[in-house]
Amino acid sequence: MKARNHLLSLLFAATLLVTAISSSADVVLPSVDSRFVSVKEINPSRDAGYVVGDKLQRTMILTVKQPYILIKESLPIVGYEHRYRGQVSGIELTGIDIEEQRESKQSVYTIRLEYQVFKIGRVAKPAILRGEIVKLRQQGSKDVKQFRMPSFNFRTSPLSVYGEVNLKNELSPFVAPLKLHADKEWLALKIAAGVLAASLLALLYILGARTWLPYMGGAFAKAYRKINKLPEDEQGLQQAISTVHAALHQVAGQSVFGNGVEHFLQTKPAFSVAKPEIERFFALSRQIFFDSHTPLDLGMPPKQWLKKFCRQMRDCERGLRPEVHA
Amino acid sequence: MQDQQLNDWRTHALTLESEVNKVVVGQENPVRLITTAVFARGHVLLEGDVGVGKTTLLRAFTRGIGGGYQRIEGTIDLMPNDLVYHTYLGEDGKPHVSPGPLLMSGQDLSIFFFNEINRARPQVHSLMLRVMAERTLTAFNKEHYFPHMLVFADRNQVEREETFDIPSAARDRFMMEIPIVVPPAHDIMESLIFDTRFHDVDQLISNVPADILKFDQLNSFAKVIQENIQASPALRKYALDLWLATKDPVAYGVKVSNVDMKRLVLSGASPRGMGMLLRAARVNAWLNNRQAVVPEDIHAVFHETIAHRLVFSPVYEMRRTEIARELLTGIVNAVAAP
Repeated sequence: MKARNHLLSLLFAATLLVTAISSSADVVLPSVDSRFVSVKEINPSRDAGYVVGDKLQRTMILTVKQPYILIKESLPIVGYEHRYRGQVSGIELTGIDIEEQRESKQSVYTIRLEYQVFKIGRVAKPAILRGEIVKLRQQGSKDVKQFRMPSFNFRTSPLSVYGEVNLKNELSPFVAPLKLHADKEWLALKIAAGVLAASLLALLYILGARTWLPYMGGAFAKAYRKINKLPEDEQGLQQAISTVHAALHQVAGQSVFGNGVEHFLQTKPAFSVAKPEIERFFALSRQIFFDSHTPLDLGMPPKQWLKKFCRQMRDCERGLRPEVHA
Repeated sequence: MQDQQLNDWRTHALTLESEVNKVVVGQENPVRLITTAVFARGHVLLEGDVGVGKTTLLRAFTRGIGGGYQRIEGTIDLMPNDLVYHTYLGEDGKPHVSPGPLLMSGQDLSIFFFNEINRARPQVHSLMLRVMAERTLTAFNKEHYFPHMLVFADRNQVEREETFDIPSAARDRFMMEIPIVVPPAHDIMESLIFDTRFHDVDQLISNVPADILKFDQLNSFAKVIQENIQASPALRKYALDLWLATKDPVAYGVKVSNVDMKRLVLSGASPRGMGMLLRAARVNAWLNNRQAVVPEDIHAVFHETIAHRLVFSPVYEMRRTEIARELLTGIVNAVAAP
């Protein structure tokens, strides 16, 4: 019977001890009293979606009224980890920085805190950045006041889901979707698409005989564009005639002369409608290059006639019926 | 004054062509080329089978031009002196010397026809080529001049035995090589067989009016043509390009079927050849009533003045005619003007 009483006493004492330890780990302290200190907090912009390894920055700005000052030694040190009912929270302080600004009636302390998440779970769970305890003392006095700063609630998320999970139970409205930052990939994709588009355009340009539109690559189309750029003088006229000769050469696949017009038209019947103009062109060429006595009446300045003739040949080249009669 | 002279002579030249064409039918192009050679004062090689009318053609021209016509047959035993004289025993029993074909007409010799020249020995070629080049001959201690002479020579291209091919240096002295072939038109061929006027050559030739041209004025008038028919800078450049293309056809992208172009041409046209080409082109321009040469004038005489001058690799010599024609056609097609 005596032994039984001892055992009960021991159990009661152990229960009291556990209760006492648990209570001492989560000391209930008064909130910030505005008579002595005011707090301004800058919390992380989001409160969910944190996974193991993520860091949270938090800034507390304490305005301590005179004659009190902050006891800096009361602030936690790097590596400190809150406990709740004897269990570590899994949120560790990884950086702390204090700035002090003393004024006549108050002192402003800017405390920058950095925490890192070291907890992982299979589902999203609530977590907390528990408010740190700050102690104030009155200068020249042993009076010390301590307050707990406001805490910050957030949620941690699992890196990935293993096994079967009942989403209905775990579908927390606070869980934000996991988003990957794909800005660089998007940029690379846009650049690659741009390069691909430019390459395709270049390929089309090359396959299209270096022209941007169909039929622009024809010999007479090119000659027409070139003639328009030549100067309006004797040399420009000679160059223009040479350009048309070169176009005829290109179309026929060989040199074409005045006595070869019939053969040219037999092999390229699309130009047959322009036969009189072709013959006049050779007369013009002969007059300019070989025999100035060659009789010729174009009815307009040679360069102008040549442009019209070249446009007519270009139309023939494109399979059109020439609209301009030179 | 010179314009009038040019016009008058052109009229005569066209009349001559017309008359010769009436006698030798179906040969308009050779007739035009021979007329060109006559006014360009160039010797001519005739190419063609036997019996196609070469002699008739030359006799008809001689009658129209005036002056003497002489002819000699090339044989393997022909010696150079056979061109100059021949000896015989006269009725008086004494040896006599008579002038040979070259001397017989004296300075009035207008056309000398050397038939089958490649049957004669190189010694004969040598004498003939000297007379062609210098138009003089030293014989009987005397210098004989043939200022109006044009040589027409015929090559037997069919038979190769007992022939002596004319070397390229000798061929180069001829202005043209003119092919004379049987006219392809059937009505002309039938006419040549059945029309009795073609059976008597002497009678046929007599139909050509005599002395349409003045043979002894041809040299001076040829000079007038060459001085009055102009060649523009563009044409000069074109002629130069043609010349370069004969030397290096590969550079101009010219191809001949079944021929290794890099090995084909050993030597292109000579400066003399190109000079003759332009002389002939000027005459062609004049005959066509132009005052300046145009590329078509060059084309009209290009094959005939250049083909026989080209020197090919021996492996291609057997196909010379065919290859030369294709090569020169390729050059004309490849070289642009202007």
